[in-house]
Amino acid sequence: MRKQPVWAKPALLFAASAALLLASTVGSTRAALTYYSDNYALEMTVAQSMGVSLTENGRIVSHRDYDGSAWNGDGSGTLLEGILDEGEKLIPGKSYEEAIGVSNSGSIDSYVRVILQRSWLNPEGGKDTSLSPDLISLNVNTGSGWVEDARSSTPERMVFYYTRPLPSGQSTPLLCDSLKIDPAVMKEVLEETVSDGEGRQVITTSYAYDGYRFCLEAEVDAVQTHNAEDAVKSAWGVDVTVAEDGSLSIP
Amino acid sequence: MKKIWKKKTLVLGTAALLLTAGASAGRAMAYFTTYAGAQGSAPLSLGFTRTEIEETVQNQAKYITVVNTGECDAFVRARLFAGGGYEDGLVFREAESEGWTPGEDGYYYYTAILPPGEKTGPLCVGVDWKDQEGGFNTDREDFNVIVVQESAGVYYDEDGNPACNWEVQL
Repeated sequence: MRKQPVWAKPALLFAASAALLLASTVGSTRAALTYYSDNYALEMTVAQSMGVSLTENGRIVSHRDYDGSAWNGDGSGTLLEGILDEGEKLIPGKSYEEAIGVSNSGSIDSYVRVILQRSWLNPEGGKDTSLSPDLISLNVNTGSGWVEDARSSTPERMVFYYTRPLPSGQSTPLLCDSLKIDPAVMKEVLEETVSDGEGRQVITTSYAYDGYRFCLEAEVDAVQTHNAEDAVKSAWGVDVTVAEDGSLSIP
Repeated sequence: MKKIWKKKTLVLGTAALLLTAGASAGRAMAYFTTYAGAQGSAPLSLGFTRTEIEETVQNQAKYITVVNTGECDAFVRARLFAGGGYEDGLVFREAESEGWTPGEDGYYYYTAILPPGEKTGPLCVGVDWKDQEGGFNTDREDFNVIVVQESAGVYYDEDGNPACNWEVQL
């Protein structure tokens, strides 16, 4: 029997595999040529993103939303910009519109809470804690799903929880709708007596808190609804209970 | 042998540390959270109420108006004094007055809020002189009536109604 060369067997196998590969390509090409259908596009959103917006008088003043790759909004903004018209002076006791609410600007449901802080600045710009924050009165819409966490609240700081899940794209009822300054700020007066140089005393009386500024800060925090009790505990450090219907309660 | 044991311990320790760190990181990152905040302030300009009086005399009566020359809304009241014991002869002429009401305390009150730059309607107070027998003598030509007017800043009470505090005199 004649002996075959050493390279003959590998070469044969290589040729066979090349032929098979070529044949399979041709088959696919044929199928592509003989079968044709329209193109259909399907977009699947699988990224779950958080987002929350703080609104004042129907206008978004601050937001921070995750779009799947980056955060939109830096989560800061300005309040009380339009509370007084140009040249208008605030009248104690008068109600001014200050409607604060929250919108879910993310793609998943969330639980939200709002922390409001009230304070006074003296004419030099320093915080004056001798003037009670209670003189800055906000008309809170209790019974609309918002509850105050009295244990965490102080005269300066008020903490409110929205007790229902906030669906994506939806807004809460207004947390508060108006603000007024207690007329008690007019009760404190300063009396200064000076001599006019002709032996007479001139007594000048003025309001003690004239020139002060009242400050309002609002922060909204949002957390996922999935595994909510653990999520709230982890994010806010608060023990809450979530019922089967999704309602959240604080002890 | 001892060297191998040490190496094994080191590897196990490092692995345990990594696992612990990994478990913590996984828990912290497991929840979706976000936040947004805003802050602001507005001035409390209580300011001063400043008012000036304007008066004319016609037909044995004073016509008094008050102008708000300050920067704030104000309530206004006025009181009249007549010298020479003729104070009882001062008579409020309602038909010639506009917006004024006599109060029980002797003041006449302008019932509306007086905005800055605005002027009240006239307050008309006539003089009916009494003669020594107690009758009225309207023939006297000279008389002296002093008008004192006061103003107070406006605030709103608990019911949302405009009010002022006459006790605070600035």
